[in-house]
Amino acid sequence: MLSRISYALRETAAGFRRNVTLTAAAIITSAVSLLLVGTTFLIQRAFDNLLTRWKGDVELIVYVRSDATPEQVQLIEGALKSQPSIIDVDRLRYLNQAESYAEAERLFAGDPGTLRLLTPENIPSQFKVVPIAEDSALVRELGEQFRQLAGVKEVAYAQDVFDVVSRVSHFIRVATTAMSIILLVVAVGLIWNTIRTAMFARRREIEVMKLVGATNWFIRIPFMLEGLVQGLVGGILSCLGLWGLNTAWTNAVSDFNDTELAALVVTDGYASWIMVLLLGIGALAGAIGSGIAASRFLDV
Amino acid sequence: MIRLESVTKSYSSDVIAVRDASFEIAKGEFVFLVGPSGSGKSTLLRLMNRQEQPERGTVWVAGKDINDMPESKVPYLRRTIGNIFQDYKLLPNKTVFENVAFALEVIGRPRHVIRQQVPAVLELVGLADKEDRFPHQLSGGEQQRVSIARAFVNRPLILLADEPTGNLDPGTGEGIMRLLDRINSTGTTVVMATHDTRVVNMMRRRVVQLDRGVIVRDQERGVYD
Repeated sequence: MLSRISYALRETAAGFRRNVTLTAAAIITSAVSLLLVGTTFLIQRAFDNLLTRWKGDVELIVYVRSDATPEQVQLIEGALKSQPSIIDVDRLRYLNQAESYAEAERLFAGDPGTLRLLTPENIPSQFKVVPIAEDSALVRELGEQFRQLAGVKEVAYAQDVFDVVSRVSHFIRVATTAMSIILLVVAVGLIWNTIRTAMFARRREIEVMKLVGATNWFIRIPFMLEGLVQGLVGGILSCLGLWGLNTAWTNAVSDFNDTELAALVVTDGYASWIMVLLLGIGALAGAIGSGIAASRFLDV
Repeated sequence: MIRLESVTKSYSSDVIAVRDASFEIAKGEFVFLVGPSGSGKSTLLRLMNRQEQPERGTVWVAGKDINDMPESKVPYLRRTIGNIFQDYKLLPNKTVFENVAFALEVIGRPRHVIRQQVPAVLELVGLADKEDRFPHQLSGGEQQRVSIARAFVNRPLILLADEPTGNLDPGTGEGIMRLLDRINSTGTTVVMATHDTRVVNMMRRRVVQLDRGVIVRDQERGVYD
């Protein structure tokens, strides 16, 4: 048994020495594809975090005309507070014109054209409303009632933004998943090809092994180990890349701590779980790819 | 030891390599398969270690129908059969010792068995002093001796030799035949395909002659023609 294990390990190491360039290519491709797979998972998770946070946050904004009288504002506030079964009265927040302008300055930081149209005088003040009712139809119905009130300029539903983000996130999910599957297939193909080349180079040896009665598994295992190690090394590289990407992104986003963007991050626990998954996929894909390649050479 | 019953093997619809061949080889026998190139000698050998499967008929080796055997048992069948080839099939990057040890290594024999059996078999074939040489440093006859050592190191019941003297000059070929004769005298069954008239006439053993896949002669203590 010991002699078999040492044989398999020696042969695996020899395989790498014999085929350095192809091995490197296979490892890099699997690293890139696994990195993409991992990134897909993290992007998904980040969007989910963002959406969850929004769901529990403001869902309804009542914009008040800039020329509304203080009485009208009080009336609107009163109307909102008269619906404690639908809205969370304690979390009801009023932003006056100065506060609204400050918020707009931040939100439209990247859009100076829009910002130029706004002044602290013409900007609408706003009530940020957090609904309690789960039923969004009920919330919309209430919103429609508020729209009729004097002094109300507009009622906006965060639900609409939520839907847009959901759609963007869905698109990103489909696109990145498709890309990572394609790259994963390419990586398995390259590992397959590396092993096939390695076996072709050693077909005489394999022929002799078969004739003296080596079992197929005995012949196959060093090649499968070689593929497994290639996939695993690719997985480790992709984990390093993913860790770097995630750290850089988290740092970049932390500058926007007071906006929703800050929720677009992934917690460490989830990232490590994904890394374990990547290592697993890499090792498995490598072993399977080379196992298939090996089997084709063993039909003697 | 080996029995063929109405065995037919073709490589395509119009190339029939062996046609309805039946014969039996007893334990310890030495048999020549003779005939011109393409007469089916090599195919018969390949049928005996299941490198080929017949379309019709049965091949029995050591009491087992080897065509009925599951794929997973074939390696164990082959451990009881040694193979020798015209082109030796030695691994060029391994030494004489390593080439012979390889046959034991890949069937999982432990180190101490290898260290003991390889020198013994190299002694038998007369290459005890050359175990660290590489194949390209040896003459053709010496390379064939290494290949015989590799085939015999596991003490197989049967030795299948396909034109083992085909690449050698007559004197060297005779030496190889004496070695095979010696191995045969230890009880190993030897089946040798050849069209080397000289060695067949020299040995005076059983001769099975083939012509276009058909057995046309089976003679005890025969000569080539």
